[in-house]
This record gives sequence, C-alpha cells and structure tokens, in this order.
Amino acid sequence: MLTTIAAAVLATLAPMQGETDTTIAVPAGASLSVNNFGGAIVIHTWTQNRVKVHAEHGSRGSIEASLVGTTLTIKAGSRHGSPSVVDFDITVPAEMALNLSGTYTEIEVSGSKAAITAETVDGSIDVRGGSGNITLNSVQGSVTLADATGRIEVNSINESVELSNISGQIKAETTNGDVTLWGIKSSSVEATTINGDVEYEGTITDAGTYTFTSHNGDIQISIPEGANVTLTVATANGDIDASFPLPFRGTREKHRYTFKLGTGSARMEAESFQGDIELRRPAEMREHQKEKEKDKDHEMEQEEP
Amino acid sequence: MNDQWTDRLSEYVDGELANGERGALEAHLATCAACRGAVAELRQVVARARSLEDRAPQTDLWLGVAKRIGAGQVVDIRSRRFSFNVPQLIAACIALVLLSGGGTWVALHKTAVATDTTFTPQADSTKWVPVAIWSGRTDAAIADLQEALRRNESRLDTSTVRVVRENLALIDRAIAQARTALAADSGNAYLNLHLADTMRRKLELLRRINAIASAQS
Amino acid sequence: MPRQVLEVTLTADSVAADAALAASGDASAFERLYRAHVNRVHSLVRRMLDADEADDLTQDVFVRAWDKLSTFRGESAFGTWLHRLAVNVVLARRKTLGVERGRFHSAEDPLEGVSGRRETPEISMDFEEALANLPDGARQVFVLHDVEGYRHEEIAQMLGVVPGTSKSQLHHARMALRRYLDR
Repeated sequence: MLTTIAAAVLATLAPMQGETDTTIAVPAGASLSVNNFGGAIVIHTWTQNRVKVHAEHGSRGSIEASLVGTTLTIKAGSRHGSPSVVDFDITVPAEMALNLSGTYTEIEVSGSKAAITAETVDGSIDVRGGSGNITLNSVQGSVTLADATGRIEVNSINESVELSNISGQIKAETTNGDVTLWGIKSSSVEATTINGDVEYEGTITDAGTYTFTSHNGDIQISIPEGANVTLTVATANGDIDASFPLPFRGTREKHRYTFKLGTGSARMEAESFQGDIELRRPAEMREHQKEKEKDKDHEMEQEEP
Repeated sequence: MNDQWTDRLSEYVDGELANGERGALEAHLATCAACRGAVAELRQVVARARSLEDRAPQTDLWLGVAKRIGAGQVVDIRSRRFSFNVPQLIAACIALVLLSGGGTWVALHKTAVATDTTFTPQADSTKWVPVAIWSGRTDAAIADLQEALRRNESRLDTSTVRVVRENLALIDRAIAQARTALAADSGNAYLNLHLADTMRRKLELLRRINAIASAQS
Repeated sequence: MPRQVLEVTLTADSVAADAALAASGDASAFERLYRAHVNRVHSLVRRMLDADEADDLTQDVFVRAWDKLSTFRGESAFGTWLHRLAVNVVLARRKTLGVERGRFHSAEDPLEGVSGRRETPEISMDFEEALANLPDGARQVFVLHDVEGYRHEEIAQMLGVVPGTSKSQLHHARMALRRYLDR
C-alpha cells in the first residue's frame, strides 16, 4: 500500500557546516536501508514512528534520503563521482527492519526488535538486539551479536565472531578467527572456522543438531548434565578430553569416535584437524571463562607503563 | 645464576666484547664457576647448531613445484586412488573439487559417472565404495572463479586483497595438510569429509569475494 | 608406477651448467638442482617457521627460484643464491604471520621453559624439537645466526629489529637450548 509520500526524493541534504540533522516520518512497517562507503553506521531505537538522522560528513559531503513505498533509503552522497566518508547516527523505531551496508564501514546497532542485515568489507559489526532474520557479514572486521532471536547467520573472514545470549537457529563462520557462542538456546547450531578456536556454551536440546569445526584450533563445548546427545568427535592431530565419562558407543575409526549420552537424541559433531576437543560441564566452562577474563585484566594492568 | 655478566656471555663467546669489557668479564670468570659453566654450555650449543643435519621433507615436493612451473603434464598417480566408505558423503550429495598439487582434479558425485579416467579400486574392495570420478566441469568452475577474482581484484582495496590472499593461502595450507594426512590414510572417512569441507570453504570464499568485488562500482 | 627419487651429487661445474640450462627453461635440469638442494631449503624453512608450513613454503622457494633464475649471474654459488632467496621467502611469510595464530607462544622469556600447545614430555625432547618450541623471535635469530651464519647487523635488518635485540634474543635462545644438548 503506497503512502502519500510515495517515490519522493526527500532531499539531498548538504548544509555547509558538515553535518546534517533531519527527522523523517515513516509509515508503520517501514524498513531502513543505509548505504555508506566509509565511516560508521550507528543505529539506536526509540518508540516514535520517525527516523532521526544525524550525519557528519565534512563540508564537501552530503547525504541522500528517499522514501519509496515503505523503504527509507539513506546514503552517503557522492561529489564528483567519488563517495564521501560519512558517519551516520540514526535513531529508528525498534520494529524497523534494517539493511545496512558499506565498504570501510563500522556498523553498530542497539535496541532493535526487527530483522537486520549488515554487510561491510573493512569494518566491524556490533549488534545488540534483533529479531527474525539476522545476517551479518564482514570481511576484515569482527562480528558480534548479542541478545537476539531468530534465524541467525554471522560471518567474518579475517576476524572473530562472537554470539551471546541468542535464541534461534545459528550459523556462525569465519576463516581466520575464533567463533565464540555463549548463552545460546538453540536446537540448530553450526559454528566453523579454519584458523581459530570454537567455544559453545548453551543448550543441547533433544533432536537438535550441532556442528562445530575447526582446522587449526581447539573446540570447547559445554555439555549439560542430562543432555541426550549422540556425539561424534574427530581430530587428526589433537587430543580429546572430557570432564566426565564418555560412554563409548562402539563406532570408532581412526581419528573419529562416537559416544552416546542419555538417549542420544540430539546429534553433535565436534571436529578439529589439528586442535584439541574439550567437553566440559557448564559450571566448569563458566569458571574457566572467569579465569580467562581475570587473566586478561591482569595482562592489561601489566601492560601499563 | 644471575649476575651482571650473565647477559653478556653470548657476546663473549662470539668475540664481540670490546677489549676493556672482555678483560673485566674474564676476570669475573676466574672467580665464578656458574658463569664458566654457562660459557662452556653456550659454546656447545653453538657447536651443536653448526652440526645440525638437514632432513628431507616427508613427502616428495617436486610434483607440486613441477606443476606450478608448468613442467609438462605431471600427474600424481597416488592421488587418484581415493576410495571412500562414507555413507554420509553419499547421502549428503556433496559435489566438490579436490585440488591436487600434482594437477589431478577429482570430483565426487552421488552416483558414479563414467569418465575418461579409470579408477583403480583398492585390494579389499568389499569394504570400500569407490565414488571418486574426474570431471572437467568443476575444474573449469574453480579456474573461472580464480580468473574472475584476478580481474576483479583491482576493484578492491589493497588491504582487502591482501587479507583475501592471506585467507586463501590459509585455506590452501589447511587443504594441503588434510591431503597429506589423507595420502597416508586414504580411506579414512573423517579425513575425506574434512578435506571436502575445507575445499568447499575455498569455493565459498572465492564466490563471496567475487560478489563483493563486482558490486563495487 | 611411482616416481623414483633421484639421488644426485653435483659438482660445482655441473651445478653452474644446470643453472644455465634451467634458466633457459630446462625443467629436468631444474629438477636436478631441486634434488640437490631441497633438504637444505626445507630444513631452513622448517626451523625458521614450523613443520606445518615447511612443505608449502619450500615449494614457494623453488617456484620463485625458477622465476628468478634469469637473474642469477653465477657470481656466487647457486646454493648461496638459492639460500638467500629462501631466507627472503621466509621473511616475507613471517611478515604476514601476525594474521595467523597457529602454534605460536606468547611467552616473552624463553627461559620460562618451552611449552607447546599440547604438553610434550620434556625429558625426551631433542635439540631440534626444543628449537622448534622456542618463541618465534628467539628461534629465528638463533637459526639465522648460529645455524645459517648471518651476522647480527644483517639479521637486524632482515627481521626489522636493532642489533641489540638480535644479540639478546640469540642469548636467550642459546641459554634455553643448553638443557637439550645431550639428546
């Protein structure tokens, strides 16, 4: 259904002082698309049906905004053909779906209750919130997602991927970095990296499927007491270590072992070519995590001159 | 042992101390058994280093080199004798490409398809289900992706290109390691699957970067 | 039919001849050079970086040597030229190693003991294994100075440090390695 502001280019906004501030009314159910080249995209939320845009772009930059149907598109304007560097700080209705992209762009989102797609090449992505389809991709930057629910796909190439407090279906992947999943409620998890560790602390639900793979790194998984899971662990060069007895199910071949815990309902695969595979209880993993954080603080203190 | 001379002992052993310092250190050595002992040990370490023997690599690397310098049609016979006992592999219908340093391209399909490469089953063929075949099409697909990336590279920032190359190299190393392990244990289901997965990661990376590069205006 | 590995002993003249032939595209001549030098190159690469990368990087070295053969003037021995090329390939690779974690150790002081990603029984570790377990900086300086014979000024330039650092890293490496002399 078209609104009365259909197909209107709202403005090419380029005030002299290098900043733009504007607020745009949007219909219910509208979505936001932000396209940046260099600079940040920071999204906050509020309960109003308007989008407030604050952009810093230097005196020669500009931004363009257009509302077509229910999609509000905001981009960095280009002058003489070359894209300008703009820092966006945009406040949107919490239910507004977000489609954010850029090249040298850091993307930050907080408070969203909607679907989010964020893509950047050289920049990190940090999202807190989100509901529905959530897809986050960076090439050179790290990707962090917290407090989200839905169908989630998170990718980096050269840095780590960190998910916390998530419920829903999860696919998390990177090539040169760790994949860390904490506080997960899911029955479908896939976490993979080539050069990095994988950590999982979360539920293991009946009939769920869980896959954790690395080439060079260690895999550490929390297995709650009473979990019902058929667990296959494989490593060519690493060690397998569990904090509890592993009832050997009887299928074993070189490098790969299968164990059945409880009814064996869920299916889990933990595979690392060169790294170790560690199976821990949740309390143990949390203890270990606290120790790591204490060490990090200690290290940081020591580095101060 | 931790006196003020400890850290200079290597320089002394290498004859790098100036006359004045050398004299002072030698005077110290006369009275310090610990330092004398250390000097003797350091000399032994140096001698040991000079006598270290060279070791051959565990696999013959010439094939890889020959392939890359284009030294004729070099075929690694060993890499053709893959055999699999992998019901999951078949069930998952994985189509993938194995890049062999020796230049042999092998694709796995759910059903065996006859091609121009004869496949030699292993001796105890009752255990293994041969599904490895050779397909020129996947060969071309990988080559296309890499060629496309070369053409599109200029649209990407140099730091991005560097990062992509490093990660492709990282995946290639992982592939090489998996292949080496597989060469010693060609029927192992886990190793076959792991190699397949790692290959697929390479394809995905190439596709994703090509998509990003061609989207840059 | 498996390929046979050629065992070759080369005289200085035949090396020069093969280098000239290889420079004009003779792959068989290059293979003879390869056979004669691969152990040395591989060992250098393995000691400077690690066993996992040694195979790939050794191939890189020879491929690069093939590409650059036309620049080899025969003023030094082919082995020396190849060796320096190998060191350059290793150094270039080393620059990108910040990207990759792998089995590297953060311990700044090798005197703290050598501990790998997996605990290996210290008792039976031999000299080369102990060498492999040193932290990167100390190990690379040790290999370049004591094994390969470069001077501190050269090493400093290669590794991008000051000669003083090269000297202290060397000393740390030697002090750590003396426990492994007898094995």
